[in-house]
Amino acid sequence: MRAGSRRGSQSYLSNFIGLPTRIVILLILFIGILFPFYWMITNAFKLEQDYYSSPPVMFPTRITGQNFVDIVTKYEVFKGLANSIMIASGATVFTVLFGSMAAYSLINGALPRRLKGVFGSWFLVQKMYPAIVVAVPVFYIIRSLRLMDNVLSLILMNTSFNLPLVILLMIGFYQEAPFEVEEQSMLDGCTLPQRYLYVTTPMVKSGLIATGMLTFVYSWNEFLYAVILTVNKSKPLTVLIAGFITDKALIWGPMAAMGCVVVFPVLIIMWLMQRDFISGISAGALKG
Amino acid sequence: MLISRRIHQTTSDRIWSWAFILPVVAVLMIAAFIPLGYGLVLSFYKYKLTIATSRPAFIGLQNYINMFKDEIFIKSLSNNILFALMSVSIELFVGVMVAMMLSDDNRMGRLLTTFLMVPMIIAPVASGTLWRMMMDRTYGVVNYLLSFIGIPPVSWIGDYRIALYTIVFVDCWQFIPFVALLVLSSIKSIPNSFLDAARVDGASPWKVFTKVVLPITSPVIIIVAMIRFIDAFKIFDVVFVMTQGGPGNATEMLPTYIYRQGIKFLDVGYSSATAILFILAMSLIAWVFIRLRNLQLRRLG
Repeated sequence: MRAGSRRGSQSYLSNFIGLPTRIVILLILFIGILFPFYWMITNAFKLEQDYYSSPPVMFPTRITGQNFVDIVTKYEVFKGLANSIMIASGATVFTVLFGSMAAYSLINGALPRRLKGVFGSWFLVQKMYPAIVVAVPVFYIIRSLRLMDNVLSLILMNTSFNLPLVILLMIGFYQEAPFEVEEQSMLDGCTLPQRYLYVTTPMVKSGLIATGMLTFVYSWNEFLYAVILTVNKSKPLTVLIAGFITDKALIWGPMAAMGCVVVFPVLIIMWLMQRDFISGISAGALKG
Repeated sequence: MLISRRIHQTTSDRIWSWAFILPVVAVLMIAAFIPLGYGLVLSFYKYKLTIATSRPAFIGLQNYINMFKDEIFIKSLSNNILFALMSVSIELFVGVMVAMMLSDDNRMGRLLTTFLMVPMIIAPVASGTLWRMMMDRTYGVVNYLLSFIGIPPVSWIGDYRIALYTIVFVDCWQFIPFVALLVLSSIKSIPNSFLDAARVDGASPWKVFTKVVLPITSPVIIIVAMIRFIDAFKIFDVVFVMTQGGPGNATEMLPTYIYRQGIKFLDVGYSSATAILFILAMSLIAWVFIRLRNLQLRRLG
């Protein structure tokens, strides 16, 4: 009815446990989410006496950049950063390329219709089975291929993890793209790769970017295979930060600084892609 | 629509179409199907790599039988089930409440929604390390803040009676927002006329929640519950950085157990058997949830 009626009913709903309770709970939630980040950032700039003091220093009065210098000189942050970037962007390129090709072919190509169902059920299966169940065989296969401690093996694994989601999302985008243009170029004698490359894919470019970002973030955050398949030279950031807890004493300053390096690129991507992120994640969760 | 997409097919189109799905099939073969098949085969063998000259020996179902005699396996299974039940029920309860509270479309709600996304997209390893730092017994800020309300220092990580709940807490911190966001988008898709009608009839907000919102969103809630329940059996990163399965085996979960057996102790055959059993159990759980959802959808019409 009126535009205002939406707001009326909805806030009626959102105050279902009373406005004061609602405000208190939301406030606790808000602080609960943000406080760990406040703690990480302040610790990253604290002096050693301050992050090792009891009671903890809540509001640091002196700050230092030493922790960031340390992670560069002592803890190889640049190597980890380079590996993380290589793994995540490699996986993104392959996933988006292979995934969009497959999705295009399933929607506009001349494949038996049954195949789409096969891909759909594969998506469900992959969502169900935990990555750990193939970890042991993959570990031995990669070892016998002499690909241990090589970013290529992690690019391969991350590509395989993200392909189902990307194919699923891209199928949606290709289905929405207008078919008339495609049909016209078919009559003009364009081959299928030409139509894919020059006609239809440019129309779904925004979808391609959104799924690419999602893949990048998931591969950036991946830890299980990173810890299994790397030994030394190809350790990404996630493995380096875990190493602070398992190998070293609790040196929280550098650890918090490393945490900032792991977390901030993802936050920036999220900030740029807010809406696509929610819809991507929820489509991935609810479809199929 | 689909029929019209197929009228001008040529032979070259047909060949290219197959060529276009070839890379995906290749990646899948190397990274999923071959390892899975290999794992299935290995699960029937006794194969330990701790002895350099060890050869795989066929032992039939012995690995599967041994599993149920293995106390640590039973412990990690029960830990994992307990962890899944606790974290999923808390996440669902709080997540649905938060979604309700954010369901009005104002600026504050949208801002909060953005912040809600933060815990769920950062690396689980990072949130594990962050909480490990904050929950330290001596230097941690959590114990310090709790001391203001008179709670004595708690050994969140080191006490075997508490460590599992600590993991549950961190998991909730990361995934309550996930539940809330998905349920929220489902609440927002409820037609206004439904809510207005209930309101005009004089239903209290709580009534509207239980009689209108909950039934309509229930299929989504069931699916979210399924995803979280299955994901709870994938937990690895947080346990790995926070407790390494300890103290004792108090926080050992199935994935960390498989990792330890297969990668650390190199007991390939046994850990493969655990993994295969794991897939079977997960498929069963998913089947139950999907049945549940279909039942609910049918009831709603």
